[in-house]
Amino acid sequence: MSIGPLSAARFYSAAKSATAASPQQKSGADTFGTLVNDFAKAVQGGETTAKAAMAGKADMPSLVEAIARSELAVETAVTVRDKVVSAYQEILRMPV
Amino acid sequence: MTNLTSTLAISASAMRAQSSRLRITSENIANVDTPGYRRKILSFRAVSNQKIGADMVKAGPVRLDRSEPTRIYNPGHPLADSKGYYTGSNVNLVVEIADARESQRSYEANLKMFDQARQMTRSALEILRR
Repeated sequence: MSIGPLSAARFYSAAKSATAASPQQKSGADTFGTLVNDFAKAVQGGETTAKAAMAGKADMPSLVEAIARSELAVETAVTVRDKVVSAYQEILRMPV
Repeated sequence: MTNLTSTLAISASAMRAQSSRLRITSENIANVDTPGYRRKILSFRAVSNQKIGADMVKAGPVRLDRSEPTRIYNPGHPLADSKGYYTGSNVNLVVEIADARESQRSYEANLKMFDQARQMTRSALEILRR
């Protein structure tokens, strides 16, 4: 079977559907989305409480709690990101 | 919220409660010489938090100690009665200092729990770093 330019184009258009974005990712209810949302919420809570503490409106335990929570959230996000990046690098180093 | 982050919230609520207890104690100590002052007592109560599904502690209502105030002999005092006595406060300094020390110890215990929850989360993250 000879592969002409026409059949190549047909195969390409048939395979192109695999690269289309799946609608699942838009829902925002998947676990990674909630993880990112939690992270953003924790960091925002830390900032809000820190601002209130500077203005003398929040007590020390609330400040410590909010800062510790956002610190842990940032640490989790950074660790996960490092892991993902190193996995990508591992793939890129693969001999093709 | 995971168990470890709710531990943070619970310990912080206990630290808040202990700090308000220390505030009440300092009010009592400050007013030890105030005539007619009644010692304040703070009670704690458990508050179940629906969001984290656990019991937090909250400083409850302030009540007044009903014990008899001391009678102080000082005929020159403006509030002294015909026998030369006037009504002081019913604050006992020894009791207040013991109360303050107890709230300090409870605060430290909760701080330890807070720190331990933080360290446990962090050491779990350490696994991913390798």
